[in-house]
Amino acid sequence: MVEQLLNALTLAGLLFLVSAGLSLVFGILRVVNFAHGVFYMLGAYLGFTTVALSGAFWPALVAVPLVVGTLGALIESSTLRFIYRRPPIYQLLLTFGLALILEEGIRIFYGPTAKGIDPPAYLEGALRLGSLQYPRYRLFVVVLGLVVAAAVWLFLRRTRAGLVIRAVAQNSEMADCLGADVARVRTLVFGAACALAGLGGVAAAPMTTAYLGMGIGVIVDAFVVVVIGGLGSIGGSMAGSLIVGAAQTWGAFYLPETAMVIMYAVMGAILIFRPWGLFGEPE
Amino acid sequence: MSPARALAAAALAALAIAPWVAARYQLSLLTDLLIYGLFALSLDLIMGYTGMVSFGHAAYFGLGAYASALVLIHFAQPIPVALLAGALLAGAVALPIGWFSTRATGIYFAMLTLAFAQLLYTVAYKWRDLTGGSDGIAGVPKTELFWGGPSLASPHAFYFLVAVCVVGSLGLCRVIVRSPFGRALEAIRENERRFTSLGRDPRPFKLVVFVIAAVFAGLAGALFAPFRGFASPEVMFWVFSGQGLMMVIMGGIGTLVGPILGAMVFILIQEVLSSYTEHWMIFTGAVFVLMVIFLPGGLVGTARRLRARA
Amino acid sequence: MTPLLETRGLGRAFGALQAVAGVDLAVEPGELRAVIGPNGAGKTTLFHLISGLLAPTSGCVLFRGDDVTALPAPARCRRGISRTFQITSIFPELSVLENVRIAVQLRAGGNFRLIGGRTLLETSERSAHDSLAALGLDDLAAQPAATLPHGDQRRLEIAMAIAQEPALLLLDEPTQGLSPEDTVATVAVIRRIARERALTIILVEHDMDVVFDLADRISVLHFGRLIADGTPALIRANADVQAAYLGDAG
Repeated sequence: MVEQLLNALTLAGLLFLVSAGLSLVFGILRVVNFAHGVFYMLGAYLGFTTVALSGAFWPALVAVPLVVGTLGALIESSTLRFIYRRPPIYQLLLTFGLALILEEGIRIFYGPTAKGIDPPAYLEGALRLGSLQYPRYRLFVVVLGLVVAAAVWLFLRRTRAGLVIRAVAQNSEMADCLGADVARVRTLVFGAACALAGLGGVAAAPMTTAYLGMGIGVIVDAFVVVVIGGLGSIGGSMAGSLIVGAAQTWGAFYLPETAMVIMYAVMGAILIFRPWGLFGEPE
Repeated sequence: MSPARALAAAALAALAIAPWVAARYQLSLLTDLLIYGLFALSLDLIMGYTGMVSFGHAAYFGLGAYASALVLIHFAQPIPVALLAGALLAGAVALPIGWFSTRATGIYFAMLTLAFAQLLYTVAYKWRDLTGGSDGIAGVPKTELFWGGPSLASPHAFYFLVAVCVVGSLGLCRVIVRSPFGRALEAIRENERRFTSLGRDPRPFKLVVFVIAAVFAGLAGALFAPFRGFASPEVMFWVFSGQGLMMVIMGGIGTLVGPILGAMVFILIQEVLSSYTEHWMIFTGAVFVLMVIFLPGGLVGTARRLRARA
Repeated sequence: MTPLLETRGLGRAFGALQAVAGVDLAVEPGELRAVIGPNGAGKTTLFHLISGLLAPTSGCVLFRGDDVTALPAPARCRRGISRTFQITSIFPELSVLENVRIAVQLRAGGNFRLIGGRTLLETSERSAHDSLAALGLDDLAAQPAATLPHGDQRRLEIAMAIAQEPALLLLDEPTQGLSPEDTVATVAVIRRIARERALTIILVEHDMDVVFDLADRISVLHFGRLIADGTPALIRANADVQAAYLGDAG
């Protein structure tokens, strides 16, 4: 039982890392980044490369999000920024096209086989929790998820930069008039969101390996999370991650075949009855 | 005769005489192009005219392909029966999926369609007994035109079947788009809120066009199975849905004939590039991204704009 | 005579904020009623409540004597209530003619005709031309609506609304953003169509000249409540109204 709970938390942690970024990008840029899942995948693969090059796990945890975040920022400023004023269909299509390019790029560079990463030595093995032996690495992921959640929350709520970001999210024109560099805020937020996704990928890789198709799997799950929690709400992403993590963990255990169907049913119900999610605001 | 009509007449003539002028390989390629063209055409109905972006349209193509494959292999019916089966199955599945999906708009709609399509893909992948799992169904025969009728096994004959289906579908779509229903769709695309405040609920319209688009996609899939001889889960995968979106954009969204051209260009690029590199997808993706930014009207859209300026 | 539109104790709260409260209105057929009030008085909310875009949290709306409070906007529209919007809401890429024609079609029916429908299209087109002509927009019929200047777009909105042959027309700031010349022209148009089509009109306006020019009666909202209701002369002299506009109103 506790084991299931921890499994759910692990999954929730990973989901949060991906969905928080997705939610932020929507809240602030009003764009759903279809390529977000591929940044997650990229994080996993780059993590593999970094570990292979440096021989250690920690550099990956630090360097990969930076690289992925920078790449995301570059992509935003060279493509996405030109089409903000267009109907949303074009932004959807653009990020979709980017997802395909990135996915194919990863396939070219790394080939079709999955890449595994070994967790660092002191995170291998299991920890005794009462009568339970639980993998240390998974506990690490849970802690990582919580730490990042707290950090993002504090950043947005307590810092000046966070205030600017929230202002741009609420009313970008006004924020622009008041001197905020809206374009730069957008680029930074997009980059940060990609960095979070990349971090999620690195964190996931020792558990799931880096494999093609990671991207699409996670984007659908992340989307369910943000639908449940509300696009644009970090608190919602946390709640949504917990709900989805729990549902998938227990669903996989008790009702393996129908777990996915239940997920989609929940998402469908929310979209129909409360489309702004549990924590979002009706537009 | 206006330039557009002349062009259309020329295209029809070219299609008509193709079997006698084209080499075997070229005819086979043209048949392939037409099938993908029909798929893209069906997507344009919801994308270009109603403004609904679906990330899961490939699912209906796939349903059509599987239905057709099963009918042909297990029941050895004439091809039109398989086509009907494919179209009907696609439409039938699209009904509940569409009902749910059209409760949402914009990105929510897109993601719902993606989620449902992935669900169907997973079913196709896992239900080995029915669908052959990841191997799919092979050995789908080209049977006959009607019971006791001429065989469609020859490339010429099957080409004509496909050409007739595609041109006919194009014609039917044009009629639909010009009807009062089609005009209502365009108004929904332009301003859904205003549509509602003018007295009608847009959702039934969206559902109807969603199902119609699925039926045409199913028809395309039902042609695909006997033509290629197999049905497999790949044709239901999101990548194929995405390629459909690319075909529509490249050809010209909202022009009906544009997406058919877009499909042809897309596949031709694939054919040409894949002889140089197996990673043609990246180049196509890059072209697509550039077109989204700079030429959102696609080939036909841009051509029309240039002609209007001249 | 039964009022065409009646509201009884109509109110709408958003959480703790009472946007509209206890509004009793009775608009007679053929009347041109102006609703005025300082910014934030709840005028547009009132329109949303009457047209059905918002459900009230208290009170009811009666149209032609029937309680329509439970009906959503599309249903009320089909009963004969049309409106324009404060922020122009048209179909940008469609032609001016098509904007109005679709309004006719949506009201008239036959919307699920997939094949043919040529007669339907022709009749609705003719009707659309009439409405466009009534607003002096007929020679712009072929242009995409998005290319029209602001003033013409405001008039297009009105054309779309009257094309549905409503009994009650709600105009939300029809002269907003218009130049003085355009304003005069629009006022003349509104007066003419009200007379020609025997329309009942409720008008939200900020421009007092327009209000006193057109209105048969004026209702004044302040903080969501009706503080005065009467002929233009009465309203002009009303101390409460003066206080609301010129006094310590927020």
